Amino acid sequence: MLKPAVIARNLHKWLGLIVGLQILIWLATGLYMVVVDIDFIHGDSLVKNMRDVIVVPDSKLLSMASLRIRYPDATQIGLRPVMGKTFYTVTTATDRYLLDPETGVVHSPLGEKAAREIAAYHYAGEAPVISARLINANPPMEIQTRRLPLWRIDFDDRFATSFYIDPQNGSLVTRRHQYWRIFDFLWMLHIMDYEDRSDAHNLLLIFAQITGLTFAITGLWLLFYSFSGRRTKRRAADK
Amino acid sequence: MMRLLKNVHKWVGLLIGLQVLVWLLSGLTISLLDPEKVSGKQWTSKSLTVAETLEPVTLVEPDELPAGIRKDALGIDLTTRNGKPVYLVRHADGETLVDAASASVIVIDRSGAEQVARGDFTGDGEIVSIESGMAPDMETRDSRGSYWKVSFSDHANTAIYISASTGDVFERRNSFWRVRDFFWMLHIMDYPGRENFNNPLVIAVALIAIWLGISGFMLLFGSFSRSDFFFLKSPGTRGEVVITLIDPGVKQPQKVKLNKGSNLFLSLATHDVSLASICGGGGECGKCRVRFETAPWPEANTIELGLIPKRRRERGYRLACQQVADRDMTLNLPEGTLVPGQ
Repeated sequence: MLKPAVIARNLHKWLGLIVGLQILIWLATGLYMVVVDIDFIHGDSLVKNMRDVIVVPDSKLLSMASLRIRYPDATQIGLRPVMGKTFYTVTTATDRYLLDPETGVVHSPLGEKAAREIAAYHYAGEAPVISARLINANPPMEIQTRRLPLWRIDFDDRFATSFYIDPQNGSLVTRRHQYWRIFDFLWMLHIMDYEDRSDAHNLLLIFAQITGLTFAITGLWLLFYSFSGRRTKRRAADK
Repeated sequence: MMRLLKNVHKWVGLLIGLQVLVWLLSGLTISLLDPEKVSGKQWTSKSLTVAETLEPVTLVEPDELPAGIRKDALGIDLTTRNGKPVYLVRHADGETLVDAASASVIVIDRSGAEQVARGDFTGDGEIVSIESGMAPDMETRDSRGSYWKVSFSDHANTAIYISASTGDVFERRNSFWRVRDFFWMLHIMDYPGRENFNNPLVIAVALIAIWLGISGFMLLFGSFSRSDFFFLKSPGTRGEVVITLIDPGVKQPQKVKLNKGSNLFLSLATHDVSLASICGGGGECGKCRVRFETAPWPEANTIELGLIPKRRRERGYRLACQQVADRDMTLNLPEGTLVPGQ
């Protein structure tokens, strides 16, 4: 019969061959995620003017009543600020609109010039816009769950910052940058969902975790043998 | 180098090995839980999210809303609640619901909360209690302002949290979520808040743990030899060597055939020749000493230099766990290793 210590050492060695690389990936990706500040990852330091208040003009405001006649199937009519100025937004079952609050002129969908201006208005950095692109289909991974179309405005900074502007209401929908993209990629490696990067309830991950857990237990078990040999070692060296 | 790696691996393992085990155990638990149950979506009514068309009734205009409500608003939306037109006014510190017909502020009362909870929850339990709350606790840590907690008697002990100012369901908590949250706390090592995975403790432990991974990964390469993969070869092509074993307590020397290139300690162990060992062949305890009968002695590695005194090394003593069966050889074993008559 093999001794327990021999069994543990061999299990640790062979399980290490199966799951060792993934354990290293878990440790390395976990390290990145805990070390890099999550607010920075979310891009909180890249934006400004996110708390603009709406200014309701006392007289000239177009009435809700008239808008409800104009959009009889509206499910929402509201006021929101765009670049510090107040606009009406209207949502119907099929569409969304951005309206001038006094004249009722429809501004949506916003063109490239407006999208660039809105992006620059919310951008806290100094770098200029280097490109603007309207995304209608096949969105990149980083805005997979968002409603299209969206303007993607890229800035020429060291973070490779991208702002996504909704052409229907002028809002900054989200912001992405290089460290966010790295985080997202590492998160994919961490949860082993290589397709959607969001499902931690997958069989591959569960299999790797069970193997990894057995591996860790044999490792702890070996520690016991490794350290209980220390006293005899010194005696041996003295001889 | 190997010796340094082994030591790093061993000591880092001793220092944070338990936390690595906790990471794996908590990670596994979190993955095993069904996210539909954790989020409560499995027992959430799907029909509530449909937006209703605004009815053409006479309403208060946004500029007729009380100045205190209009002031510093981030947004004002005309929408509906239970078919009635309402204004949802967003401020930096929360949201306020205003009746769009009367301009009075709506506060969700107990029965209103009960109605919302009944409409939201589709599980198999009844309401057991309705409590009001103000301060965020472990289950409502992202809440702002006062809320209603509606508890159900279902098997998952669901609690539906409803904002008292908007009537929106902002949390659905149940046993699955509570288990996940506990293991998430263990995973990110934020014991008081369970939220912040950028905390100094987890950063420090992760910085140490990475060395366990790096050293272990490097040791992996050294711990495997060609002979470990003999099973991939067909039996005829495996080279074999004959090892003659001498035990002073047994008259007849014993001969065993081992795979060429295999680890002496392990291969002998699989042939029921059990050398003394505490560490199980890890080059830690120095117990598995054998003496090579004929010179030239194989080279002693750094582990053997540390564990066998010089005068013994010069007489042919080596550690079986550090030597390979690379040729026919004769080994002297400590007395009593072999069983007489075998």
